[in-house]
Amino acid sequence: MEYLQFLIIIILSPLVNGIIKKLKANMQGRVGPGILQPYFDLTRLFKKDMVVSHVTSWVSRLTPYIVFSSTVAATMVVPVVSNNVAFSTMADLIAIVYILGLGRFFMALGGLDAGTAFGGEGSSREVTVAVLVEPMMMLALFTPAISAGSTNLLKVSGQEVALYTPSHLLAFSAFLVAIIAETGRIPVDNPDTHLELTMIHEGMLLEYSGRYLALMEWAHYIKQMLLFTLAVDIFFPAGITSSGDPLSIVISTGIYLLKVLFMAFLMATIESTRAKMRFFQLPSLLGGAFVLALLSLLSYVMMGR
Amino acid sequence: MVSEIFLYTGIVFFFSASLLSLLKRLNPLVYILSLAGSLCLAIVALYLLFAGPQLADITLKLSSIFEFSFGGDALSGLFILIISILVFSVSIYSIGYTRGMEKKGLMGLLFNLFVLSMYGVVLSRNIITFLILWETMSIVSYFLVTFERDDKSAKAGLVYAVMTHIGTAFIIVLFLLLYSYSKSTDFSDMKAMASNIPQDVKNIVFIFSIIGFGTKAGIVPIHTWLPRAHPAAPSNISSLMSGVMIKTGIYGFLRVGMDILGNGPEWWGITILIIGAISSVLGVMYALMEHDMKRLLAYHSVENIGIILLGLGASLMFKSNGLYTLSAIALIAGLYHTMNHAVFKGLLFLGAGSVMHATHTKNMEDMGGLIKSMPYTGLFFLVGSVSICALPPFNGFVSEWLTYQSLLLGFKNPSIAAKIISPLGGAALALTGALAAACFVKAFGISFLGMPRSSHAQDAEEASPPMISGMAILGFLCLVLGIFPGTVSNIIAPVSFIITGSYGMPSYSGFIFVNENSAGLSPQFLLITMVIMAIAVLVFIYTVGGKRKITIADSWDCGIPSLTPRMQYSATAFTKPIRMIFKRIYLPRRDLSVSYIVKPFFVKSIRYSGEITPFFERYLYEPGVNLIHRIAVKVRLLQSGSLQLYLGYILITLILLLVFGS
Amino acid sequence: MKNWIQVFSVIDLVSVGILLTAIAMNGMKRLESCVKAYAVNSWFLSALIAIVAFMIGEFHLYIASLVTFLSKGIVIPIFLRKVVREMKVTHEIEPYISNALSLTISGILVAIVYASLKEGIFVTGLSRNVLQISLAVILIGLFAMITRRKAITQVIGLLFMENGLFLAGFSLTYGMPMIIELGVLFDMLMGVIILGIFAVQIRRAFASSDLDKLTILKG
Repeated sequence: MEYLQFLIIIILSPLVNGIIKKLKANMQGRVGPGILQPYFDLTRLFKKDMVVSHVTSWVSRLTPYIVFSSTVAATMVVPVVSNNVAFSTMADLIAIVYILGLGRFFMALGGLDAGTAFGGEGSSREVTVAVLVEPMMMLALFTPAISAGSTNLLKVSGQEVALYTPSHLLAFSAFLVAIIAETGRIPVDNPDTHLELTMIHEGMLLEYSGRYLALMEWAHYIKQMLLFTLAVDIFFPAGITSSGDPLSIVISTGIYLLKVLFMAFLMATIESTRAKMRFFQLPSLLGGAFVLALLSLLSYVMMGR
Repeated sequence: MVSEIFLYTGIVFFFSASLLSLLKRLNPLVYILSLAGSLCLAIVALYLLFAGPQLADITLKLSSIFEFSFGGDALSGLFILIISILVFSVSIYSIGYTRGMEKKGLMGLLFNLFVLSMYGVVLSRNIITFLILWETMSIVSYFLVTFERDDKSAKAGLVYAVMTHIGTAFIIVLFLLLYSYSKSTDFSDMKAMASNIPQDVKNIVFIFSIIGFGTKAGIVPIHTWLPRAHPAAPSNISSLMSGVMIKTGIYGFLRVGMDILGNGPEWWGITILIIGAISSVLGVMYALMEHDMKRLLAYHSVENIGIILLGLGASLMFKSNGLYTLSAIALIAGLYHTMNHAVFKGLLFLGAGSVMHATHTKNMEDMGGLIKSMPYTGLFFLVGSVSICALPPFNGFVSEWLTYQSLLLGFKNPSIAAKIISPLGGAALALTGALAAACFVKAFGISFLGMPRSSHAQDAEEASPPMISGMAILGFLCLVLGIFPGTVSNIIAPVSFIITGSYGMPSYSGFIFVNENSAGLSPQFLLITMVIMAIAVLVFIYTVGGKRKITIADSWDCGIPSLTPRMQYSATAFTKPIRMIFKRIYLPRRDLSVSYIVKPFFVKSIRYSGEITPFFERYLYEPGVNLIHRIAVKVRLLQSGSLQLYLGYILITLILLLVFGS
Repeated sequence: MKNWIQVFSVIDLVSVGILLTAIAMNGMKRLESCVKAYAVNSWFLSALIAIVAFMIGEFHLYIASLVTFLSKGIVIPIFLRKVVREMKVTHEIEPYISNALSLTISGILVAIVYASLKEGIFVTGLSRNVLQISLAVILIGLFAMITRRKAITQVIGLLFMENGLFLAGFSLTYGMPMIIELGVLFDMLMGVIILGIFAVQIRRAFASSDLDKLTILKG
């Protein structure tokens, strides 16, 4: 039963995106679409015919499957509601970052495949953001990993020590910025835009339609929820059960959903209160986050907490 | 005994191949012989790795000092295995690649001599043998670099020759220093006597080994020959040079810095770690700005040597603090990456060779859409790209993952410096990984995807079957080395045992597990999961959506008809954001000249040219060369060309000798 | 006879003759005189060898003496005179330093040699002076090569040096084995011939036999 806990992420991820959209709409004084809208969108896309450019090759036809399946593979090693993760020793924090990197690599290739300027622009920007985010995210993950003495997610999320130390808080804020950048949210990217010149993530998906687009979008939702889950696992692990009886699983599922809702609220707040940054101003934001992650590491090494 | 038979047979194969190469008719046979030779040597390597030092020392005594001595231990065995893997596939590739080549006889000869000298270097057991073969390797590779006989390769060859000899000078000095304490030219005697060497001398030897072997390996800032020489050579040779020749630098460093010298102070490891971090980040950064495919790959060699050194540095650090198991894990990480880099860089150079063969250009801006005309080359180049970007489930990922683990475990070192520097090394590795991914999105995306940017790319044809099979073997190995990490680390474990005294990790086949960190990794699992998930989602799609029509249409062109190849993103444009963000490192310069019909509204033409400042060439080598030049001009006054003046020098010398000598 | 030689220190006298001819060469302007000085120098050398051969009764030294006389005393001077005549340059016109000064400096060189080899290296027991004189001759020959411009005088300077070297080797070891002596001699002969041809060629190519002109060959 708990071996299938990753299905929670896969199934609920569009819902979380719907909730974020709804929250944002409410904060901005709009009504907004219903929270189930992403499900309707995905179903609609799955049922649509596809238009594929004659310039593209098998790379862009393979990309949606690789992006989707790699993202799903990453969710399988993450403890969501229970510590009984079947595959926890098959991959760790670092592996998850790299598995997500595999998806991004192919997504960026897919952007170049159609031979349009927009796709190239999108993938160029995507890899640039990745260059800035990856060291920062790694460093932010190093602090909890070092304090747990392991990069194994079970060990990291099962830390006994008080987690609300300066180093963990600093690492959390850096990781938050990493999530924003990875999920393509304001101030790094605007998920709602369809103006070609400003988009990053959307630019790469421009040539995809129908079920390919649905897979890519779904994978994006899963990635977002996976990152939320990682954040709460690492920085607020309280509530993850280790026993297998149904009651404790139900309780921990409730706690988990609350935590994810909190993350969603955080994202919506940030998105509603910030403006999108110019692309070339991003280094100051992401560099600042890098400094936070560095400080977190230093404070852990120097002060031991 | 058996191993020696295989060794001799292999050597005979190579020698007969080099002799046969003089008969041009038999070109394929030459490479088939070298292929057989590499198989024999691979068997020798397995013996050396698993049966202990099976290979008795083979000694050829010429005089009391000049003594050729060969033999091997597990460390030699590992490098022989790596060389053999690459020689095997490059030989197959060369059958197709050298077809139609003008000087194929010379090529076959040099190819086999080059391979033999590399084997010889790692099998040498004493100073004399090592130095002679080291120089042979350098000289033969010099001839291969200048094989094309144009100005560019002549210049590249000159730079290569100068730098490699500077490196060799340091190596000679360090061996003489070691000799003066051990009184023996034999490596094992040196190792036995290493404890008598005072620490200061050890430090000097260590630093010299970094410089001497680092020149061959191509660490920053003594890497500048590498991006010139590797692209200048024919592609099968570039593949060998980048794949294994620079690894002999790593071998030398391991032999001297870690095997012979034994334990050192912690700063040795920290130095190597810092050099590794700088090399990896700068190497990949310069690669990103390169649009010449082979130069790009050559810069990636600098990067990967840096990654290898990150592992070795961590290993040295642990070793000096007595953490031998951790040291073994870090060493395995470094050696694993050495092997992986040989495989995927070999593959990528072969792929670049096929592309050049088909398009007659190295410039990516003239390529595009090649995946349609060269599907297999495209596939294998993609496999190589994914591997070099360290993406699962391919091989680069496993070794980088191990490197991360060993850097994170650096926290177990007692000193604060090690605790801080090792995670920072990890951050540098992450930056390197992201930059490498950016670079190969560019390399693969611009040259293989999209629309052809020139008629060369339009008319490209798929490479010949031997070339494809050469690449296929390496591509397959990229996957195999990735999904059987436990097996590979078991192959490397004997090496870590002789250097650190520990086997590092428990042995599994498709799974690695670091006990100290309780972190495990199974790329096999990831691969299987991904395949299952892809199938599952396919089934899901067809149950939800049913079979749907696919319309083939043009790419989205904003409603303006006919998208031309010129409108695609170019390699320069692709890397512009990174060039802007890291402008402190790149120091980019650009010239924009616009000519108008009516100023400022009607533009007739815009000419844009931009370049980055080659930092080390400009600010390190140029001033150095200029200084030497200025001194030379001063010294030239002495050399006036007047015979009388020269005789005067002799007279003065004689008189001084007479006066002060008696 | 042996007594007589020892009493009158004939060896010293002969070797002083070698030194004096060398110094005299330095003061001469006419090229033919230089060649003559060399011829006389070689005669003295050959005589010295003959005397020593007589003193110690070594047969092969007689041959050395004879060969020296024939080649250095006769063949080379004749050949050089032919070259000088062919070149139509009879005088060293503009030496770098005046003859008087070069004589003075030659004297100083001799003094330096004697000052620095005060003890003398007394190996053969024949004379205390031979080694010093041989070194002085070498230096003087070298000095001549430095101060003269003409190719032919360079050759003569070199020949004097060779005589000095021969003498030095002789004074230390009673002469090297025959075969080596012959080899050196043959080398000399060839060298002189080649240099002579060169001198003529240089004159043709540069319309001057001044070696200064050769500096334009420098890169």
